[in-house]
Amino acid sequence: MKTLTMAAALIATTALAGTAQADKLDDIIASGTLRCAVVLDFPPMGMRDENNNPIGFDVDYCNDLAAALGVKSEIVETPFPERIPALMSGRVDVGVASTSDTLERAKTVGFSIPYFAFEMAVTSNDASGIKSFDDMKGHTVGATAGTFEAIALEKQINEWGDGTFRPYQTQADVFLALSQGQIDATVSTSTVAQANVKTGNFPGISVVGKAPFDTDYVALFTNRDEYGLINYLNLFVNQQIRTGRYAELYEKWVGGELPALTVPNAYR
Amino acid sequence: MFDTALSAADLIFLAKGAGMTIIVTAISVAIGTVLGILFGVIRVQLGAVLAAPLTFFLDIFRSVPLLIQLVLANAFMGMVLHLRFSGFTIACMVLSLYTAAYCAEIVRGGIGAVPATTRRAARSLGMSWWQDMRYIVAPLATRVALPSWIGLALGVMKDSALVYVVQVTELLKSTQILITRLQEPLFLLMICGAFYFIISFPLARLGGYLEKRWSND
Amino acid sequence: MFGYTFQWNQALARLPKILDGAAVTMEVAVLSMLIGIALAIFLTLLRLSGSRPLGAIATTWVEVARNTPALFQIYMAHFGVASFGIHFSPFVSLLIGITFNNAGYLAENFRGALKAIPETQTRAGRSLGMSQGQAFRYIILPQMLRISFLPMTNQMVWAVLMTSLGVTVGMNTDLYGVTQDLNALTFRTFELFAIAAVIFYLITKIITLGARAIAWRLFRY
Repeated sequence: MKTLTMAAALIATTALAGTAQADKLDDIIASGTLRCAVVLDFPPMGMRDENNNPIGFDVDYCNDLAAALGVKSEIVETPFPERIPALMSGRVDVGVASTSDTLERAKTVGFSIPYFAFEMAVTSNDASGIKSFDDMKGHTVGATAGTFEAIALEKQINEWGDGTFRPYQTQADVFLALSQGQIDATVSTSTVAQANVKTGNFPGISVVGKAPFDTDYVALFTNRDEYGLINYLNLFVNQQIRTGRYAELYEKWVGGELPALTVPNAYR
Repeated sequence: MFDTALSAADLIFLAKGAGMTIIVTAISVAIGTVLGILFGVIRVQLGAVLAAPLTFFLDIFRSVPLLIQLVLANAFMGMVLHLRFSGFTIACMVLSLYTAAYCAEIVRGGIGAVPATTRRAARSLGMSWWQDMRYIVAPLATRVALPSWIGLALGVMKDSALVYVVQVTELLKSTQILITRLQEPLFLLMICGAFYFIISFPLARLGGYLEKRWSND
Repeated sequence: MFGYTFQWNQALARLPKILDGAAVTMEVAVLSMLIGIALAIFLTLLRLSGSRPLGAIATTWVEVARNTPALFQIYMAHFGVASFGIHFSPFVSLLIGITFNNAGYLAENFRGALKAIPETQTRAGRSLGMSQGQAFRYIILPQMLRISFLPMTNQMVWAVLMTSLGVTVGMNTDLYGVTQDLNALTFRTFELFAIAAVIFYLITKIITLGARAIAWRLFRY
């Protein structure tokens, strides 16, 4: 038992010593693999094709980043609530997971500049008669646990003081619950809402309008103290826009008017 | 209901998930049993007072939801110790200790079921502690403990459904992935449930049979 | 030495919310146990009834509850039955899932307990002029519950631990759900879940010690 403890301690110290020298950017390049946390039930950002292989905007974005670094990419599927634990536990190097860059979260992880922006839309079950955001008052609504829209929607329901909010573990469960009539409406990113309605998998639901939430800027993230990597990510996002790759990917997966990633009257 | 979009590739995908469930269970039960026997014997030998720290440590695994154990182990290994373990490794580590905690209880019960008089008789025949353990206690205790152990192993298989939380795609997670794409929750869940049942039911019956057979003498 | 700075005060500031979650967890666990015991007695009666179809229903319930994951049962109670147009709130789905599980395991415990009660006792009761029902109610049932007291305590602990699975059906008011929501807000995973773990540990200890005290009062001779 004692030798076991000592061995464990030894391994722990070596591992600590190992991480002290090279930074994460070096580690990724040396290991030859970039591991990205991607949410795969979040079409069109992340989903699976008929062979159950990962595809989507975030998947392509991760592949581009890996190519820029000159390494292979590895997509690690992470449900929304597991994104940060996956990063913190060293299971992934970078999150390319449509993660909103809130100040509260930035206390824990380091965000790049925004690489995508979502508008929020209301999708309702046709039987519920909900036609707009305000119609949701008094109804049972849901969203994906741990997302920007879930936090905002729950706050709104509490403000109305009428109705029930249910967070589901995955975006898929939300739309499943919506089409089953377990919830009457949901707020999700409009791209996700359109993509889900378009699949035809969920009969009897439609996108009925915009939700008056702030634009949801999402960013890449990694460990807070990895400045070298964060710098690289910032430049990478900038280059994606500059080279037209961002527009290309947007056209491929989403289509329509390209959302601006800059905030007017602000430096960053 | 049987009009389904489920393809052969999807069935293979499900089978892979099932394979993962079995592998995680097999590794955890194997390691957990060895550790459990060790911990169980140590607890019996040391007595309640001296073994208290070990008892407390093992008790944690039986008093905190497995989901939280997995989340915490994952966060602790990576965030605090900076050890790069795969989700699979974390899952096996936690499930092994989880198994060991329950197995130690079973082992303790098994050893306790061997009459003290029998053991004293063995020692007075000149057997050493080790011989007593090896030839008297082990065979008798195994009889008492085996049915519970089978129950434990099946319990671990069912609980392994929670390792999705550390990004291990086992059977239930694979099912959820397919539900996402195919939107046939009831049908897919039935397949998933049937799989667990087919593995678990015969073994549970075997356990019940052994228990009945061995308790009659 | 660690590359991670613990921020316990950030997490501890949320303790009142987490404790509210613990109350909901207890509510689900206690309700699921009470209904579960009632259903288990009912299943036991079905098995004793001598009717084959009724016995088969009870046995199917018990075997499905014991041979599939609890997570599966809860998921089924929400998304599975909804395919038939039956909708339960997350609270009810979780309660149904755990109760289904409890009833199955307890019925099996009761069956084992019945074996330990000699059949002659029922006959003695009958010969004293009791009906079959009275004999069960006044002679068998109390002994059955007493013999099964320890397994029932264990099942209660299980019920508490199983509430953590409610998040998969949209539950966010129980101990695990609250913790996970706070985690999404702040990303202080380790601190928050460590606190939840301690609370779960205390709850299970209170249950086992409380049960021991009750057993000592009720069952000592």
